Amino acid sequence: MRRVRILGIGSPAGDDQAGWRVVDALRARLGARADVALDKLDRPGAGLLAHLEDATHVVLIDAVSSGAAPGTIRRVDRADWRNHAGGLSSHGFGVFDALALAEALGSLPPALALYGVEIGAAEPGDDLTPAVRAAVDELAARIADSLL
Amino acid sequence: MTETTRTVSLNVPVLARVEGEGALDLSLAGGEIAQLRLRIFEPPRFFEKFLEGRHYDEIPDLVARICGICPVAYQVTAAQALERLYGVELSPWARAMRRAFYCGEWIQSHSLHIHLLAAPDFFGCGSAIELAKIAPDAVRRGLRLQGLGNALMDLFGARSVHPVGVRIGGFHAAPPAAKVRALRERLVAALPEAEALIRWAAAIPLPPDDQDFISVAMRHADRYAIEQGDIAASDGLSIGADAYDAHFAERHAPHSTALYSDYRGRPYLVGPLARLNLNPDRLPERLRALLAEIGFAPPSRNMFHSLLARAAEIWLALDEAARLLAGYRVPDSPWTPVEPRAGVATGCTEAPRGLLWHRYEMDAAGRVVNARIVPPTSQNQARIEEDLRLSLLNFGLDRPDDALRLHCEKVIRNYDPCISCATHFLRLNVARA
Repeated sequence: MRRVRILGIGSPAGDDQAGWRVVDALRARLGARADVALDKLDRPGAGLLAHLEDATHVVLIDAVSSGAAPGTIRRVDRADWRNHAGGLSSHGFGVFDALALAEALGSLPPALALYGVEIGAAEPGDDLTPAVRAAVDELAARIADSLL
Repeated sequence: MTETTRTVSLNVPVLARVEGEGALDLSLAGGEIAQLRLRIFEPPRFFEKFLEGRHYDEIPDLVARICGICPVAYQVTAAQALERLYGVELSPWARAMRRAFYCGEWIQSHSLHIHLLAAPDFFGCGSAIELAKIAPDAVRRGLRLQGLGNALMDLFGARSVHPVGVRIGGFHAAPPAAKVRALRERLVAALPEAEALIRWAAAIPLPPDDQDFISVAMRHADRYAIEQGDIAASDGLSIGADAYDAHFAERHAPHSTALYSDYRGRPYLVGPLARLNLNPDRLPERLRALLAEIGFAPPSRNMFHSLLARAAEIWLALDEAARLLAGYRVPDSPWTPVEPRAGVATGCTEAPRGLLWHRYEMDAAGRVVNARIVPPTSQNQARIEEDLRLSLLNFGLDRPDDALRLHCEKVIRNYDPCISCATHFLRLNVARA
């Protein structure tokens, strides 16, 4: 049976909530579904690996800052995170590092999709900027469609 | 252009408590070390200024931001200092839960350091990803233990990154009993994993090392000091937190924004090995027996035993948290009300990386007049330099640059400094005159 897990990654700082808000939007769209688990993670570091277990399909949504226009949605390929796993620091252990470690351990789920939402400002306490809010809705719709 | 006149400079880009930069400057000349300087960017200096004028009830959440790995240490130390000044006696429940909460941070921080940062060095791996390929079960076990530490922090702090549970006088809220029971079962179930980790760590061949250093750590009358105790040193010193200033001197060095700390004019060691060195008689009987069985009998003069010391403290923290959470009940109130008063508050606890000391001058309205925070990494800074100097001489200065760099990294990482950035955190630039 297909077990889908959708993980929004972020922090409570402005646009960095993008991943969480996609999860909120999906929860509203999908309602309760036995085959889909939704979770919001706060900078999980290596703890992300535990969330990849027991799922056949994992969808990750995180904020990215690559210089593109805020609100740009990018599907990140395996080649991208393989090449960009960083220094494996304890303070900066990012999603790419966690995925590279999961791959080395043979712990990646059979299907994995990673979406990046290009963000603007990430000030603690701020809400999403309009461009990112629109991107959140668009990405939630896209992910919901893919689950039909 | 000869080997003896070469200049080796090693750069350490720092991912310390917030962004910053650090470096190791190493100059070799005439077959000797001409200069060796560890430069650390130390953001808590700024935090001390940020804290001025803040109300006491804001302090735990502010100081939690100093470190993403050991926020509990900062919160609990600040709370302990202020509770002492305000004359508030924590309820037995709050006292026990503070210690359990702190155990979560030790488990999390130590597991992370052992598996993701330090261990790859001892297996000839450049990263935890490489280590995961040759020792997947050990890395998986480390991640499970780390996750358990995070879960324990999350239980009391609502989240493991910058938790928000601590308030002056206790906790903002008490976790529900069912949640505590479930987590306690996981802690007990993890003890065999921690034992296996200790055996694994003990089997790692270590470089020979025999150094004469002073260990400084807290000691408690009847248990292994974590969140309570006096400050002790291996030369017999035993003082309260309020006397720290009379024995330990902080000094500036132009090359580092972190302050150096001296004890009687000498560098000293804080951290897991210092704790074990001063407290072998405070270990639980089962752990003491296990360490004896594997042939580890602290005090140790081999700095590379730090990894094993961390593994032992993971077992201790699991066991201690399980003991503290046994028979857990939700209290009538998770906090005791406090009444601010003017005065000087000092406090200290054992952060995962070692002794952490706070001092706050408070006004009558409960606002910070000034603050001083002495984190473990700045206390270890001089000791790391001393160790590097000794280790490099033992290792041999005529080795290739890459080998020197790797050895320096290994030595520095051993201290789990809060510049615990990349596995490749020393960039080597060789300039030959």
